[in-house]
Amino acid sequence: MKNGLLLFIGLFAALGFSWAGIVLGSNVQLGALAPFFDDGESQSFPQRLPGTAARGQLVYRDLNCASCHTQQVRRPDFGSDQARGWGDRQSVARDYIYQSWVQLGQSRTGPDLTNLRARKPTAPDAEDLMELLYTGQGGMPAYRFLFETRKVTGQVSEHALALTGRLKPASGAEVVPTARTEALVAYLLSLNTTYDYPEAKPAPVGGGDSK
Amino acid sequence: MSAPSSQDPRSEPASVSDEQLLAAHEKPLGRQPDDKANYRLQPLGILFFLSGLILFSATYLNRYAGHFDPTIYDEGQKPTKGGAAVAKADPVAQGKRLFNSAGACYTCHQPAGLGVPGVYPPLAGSEWVQGPQERVVRILLYGLNGTVSVKGNAFNAAPMPAFGSSGFNWSDEKIAEVLTYVRQEWGNKSPAITADVVAAVRTKVGDHKAWTQDELLQVH
Amino acid sequence: MTAPTQAATDEDTATEAAGRRPLLLLLGFGILWLLAAGVLAFASAIQLHTPDFFADCPVFTHGHAVALAESAWVYGWVGNAGLALAVWILVRLAGEPLRAGNVVVIGALAWNAGLFIGLVGIATGDATGLPMLELPRYALPLMLTAYGAVGVSGVLAWAGRRRSIMFASHWYAVAALFLFPWLFSAAQVMLLWVPVRGVLQAVADGWYAQGLWSLWLAPLALAGAYYVVPKITGRLIPSYEAASLGFWCLVFVGPWTGGRHLIGGPVPAWISSIAIVAAVTLLFHYLIVLINLRASFGGKSVALRFIGIGLAAYVLGGVVDAATSMRGVAALVQFTYFDGAQQQLALSGGISLMIYGTLYFAVPRLAGRAWASGSLIRGHLVLAVLGLVLLVVSLAGAGIVQGQALNDAAVAFPRIAERTRSWLMGATAAEGILLLGNLLLAANFVQTVACRRSAAKEAIAS
Repeated sequence: MKNGLLLFIGLFAALGFSWAGIVLGSNVQLGALAPFFDDGESQSFPQRLPGTAARGQLVYRDLNCASCHTQQVRRPDFGSDQARGWGDRQSVARDYIYQSWVQLGQSRTGPDLTNLRARKPTAPDAEDLMELLYTGQGGMPAYRFLFETRKVTGQVSEHALALTGRLKPASGAEVVPTARTEALVAYLLSLNTTYDYPEAKPAPVGGGDSK
Repeated sequence: MSAPSSQDPRSEPASVSDEQLLAAHEKPLGRQPDDKANYRLQPLGILFFLSGLILFSATYLNRYAGHFDPTIYDEGQKPTKGGAAVAKADPVAQGKRLFNSAGACYTCHQPAGLGVPGVYPPLAGSEWVQGPQERVVRILLYGLNGTVSVKGNAFNAAPMPAFGSSGFNWSDEKIAEVLTYVRQEWGNKSPAITADVVAAVRTKVGDHKAWTQDELLQVH
Repeated sequence: MTAPTQAATDEDTATEAAGRRPLLLLLGFGILWLLAAGVLAFASAIQLHTPDFFADCPVFTHGHAVALAESAWVYGWVGNAGLALAVWILVRLAGEPLRAGNVVVIGALAWNAGLFIGLVGIATGDATGLPMLELPRYALPLMLTAYGAVGVSGVLAWAGRRRSIMFASHWYAVAALFLFPWLFSAAQVMLLWVPVRGVLQAVADGWYAQGLWSLWLAPLALAGAYYVVPKITGRLIPSYEAASLGFWCLVFVGPWTGGRHLIGGPVPAWISSIAIVAAVTLLFHYLIVLINLRASFGGKSVALRFIGIGLAAYVLGGVVDAATSMRGVAALVQFTYFDGAQQQLALSGGISLMIYGTLYFAVPRLAGRAWASGSLIRGHLVLAVLGLVLLVVSLAGAGIVQGQALNDAAVAFPRIAERTRSWLMGATAAEGILLLGNLLLAANFVQTVACRRSAAKEAIAS
């Protein structure tokens, strides 16, 4: 190739072509995705994150939890996502429109968190999550720095973790979560994308039973 | 030039200068034989490979890209002519949701449709539920006042509220769905009610206060 | 091609003098970040099988360590060394001394200052969670401007070249220099300054990550490979007319693989289907590059061997990428360490090894003296290859075990961690070996560049 101008134009075209195709194209299709209003329940889905949960998402992002956890459920016949109780249907674009910083993740060193609130068979509650964060499990480290061990003044705090055995703090001390941790747990417990949008469970073409 | 000490990695000698490098590659190399391979076949082979890749790409995209439809998430789904078929919500499932929604039917009639003896009539096996369509639609649209007798038992409680425009203002579809649900649940086996029936009753009756049992039995 | 003339030798030394300080500075920074990235990668590899390692330290918690290692490697090591070598090649091929050397120095300092700020930002909690773009947004405009400052000398060298012909290294180096600012700024704006909505962030980030790979990382490495191989072997590029096809294939098709990691994900099917198709079409580029640079497989030259093994890793990485993008295979290995194995094969293998080869060829010419130690170079080669093979095999094994366990709903996650533990220990050992090899490189570099030896300058046959 002799012509420098041709090279530049070609390079720019290559970049622009792929950008237009992938980014612009998907933006045209999905950029204006609106929430879905359900007549029966008289509200629209998905719902916005409440305040503490929105702050919790920032904590999630800060700690880069996405390096080990995904937040995308694949469809039932692709892997064991449904069998593990992570979700009955595939995650669709509409699930994420109200998330400021989407944390899809690319690695499942730990379980998927999309529907933590609605995990089957049993969903964890705040105490379970707090304890998990404090103790760690398997490949997950113990996030001790998210908690504060302090002396009990007066009554034991109602936020204090109920720890037993080796992890129990010294007598007269209690382990309480910091504000960051409360926000993080509030965020984790707000993760629930179980509403069935029309595109999430398309009707099978040509009949057959709809699952 | 001394023989390059190619064994000494500390200074790799270059076999050619930059000028020569550029000059040598300037001329089209069609005339230079490729000493490792049969030159004539190689560009053909490359082009054949490229064509094969393009063929694969086109076929794959045709089958698996869902016609670039934003509502198709499953690449295995054979694309229909008009994009993804949107699932029609099952009226029984919708009706069940309505029945169990906050502050609605289940609070009085109970989730199993058994009611509270003497207070709220049951829906399971009820002749009112399984009776004429218009009658039960009227109950839902305008409410029911006073004593009502179901399966020989009398029930007298606070009046059933109206779900039509004078009360909760449910749409024709919602009323039809919840009635469809109730009419096939807990052993009931009555046909579904459509929104048209509800709309017809609304038009025919217009405004009305809550019905009493006698008024309804007179009409039907 | 005939033997070089004396005039050519003298010309080269003069050309090199102007570029000495700025480019050696960039290379020095690059090697520094390479070591830092190596340490961080080593630490994060340990954390995978021993989660308590640095668990109490909020700065080096696993999420931070991973983000730091990746950013330091991409923007620190390749950003400095790859860029320096690309500019060097453009200058050499132009036949003119490097221009705007002081601007390059300022650019180098600014780039690394920005990177440092960004890394500190990640460590204190401002990581973005976007693969390949973990740096917080406040560091990015500085880095973009600094890049322009460094790139300007490359552009000047290319624009002012003596011969109007362009060689393959020109295309790749110019592509890398020219496209990175557009890619980088578009990604910053779309993802961090005025973020797009919902899953489009993942789509845009995928486009950026794959664009970075195919329009910046790969071209920087290939510019060096295409230059060094014919220079050392003295032979023509065998199928040179196909080389431009290979180049355009990479540049046009590469970024379309952006949806590569969104298979089965919350995006419409066409995004991942196009990515799969692009990954397969990219095999054409790998074929061309393999045909053209296969002379690097033979020969006794150590720099050539680096490039040869790097080339093999690069091509193999591409083939594995195409294979694992097939949905049947993806169902097993998606979200597992296997993805990491492929990435390491392509990055630590393909890109790094090719850059090492170019570096070992370039530094004696830049510094005006031979490398201080030949055994350190050979040691580096052995350790780099050994580490790479061990790393890829360990991560691949861990990935397959993990994938099978993930697909079996009865296996709980602590059990999966147990099963992959020994594989991950192998990966840690591999990271350690790679780090050791890079330490050898660093020691050699420092000795070569910094220590003034009283012995007469050894004649460099250019």
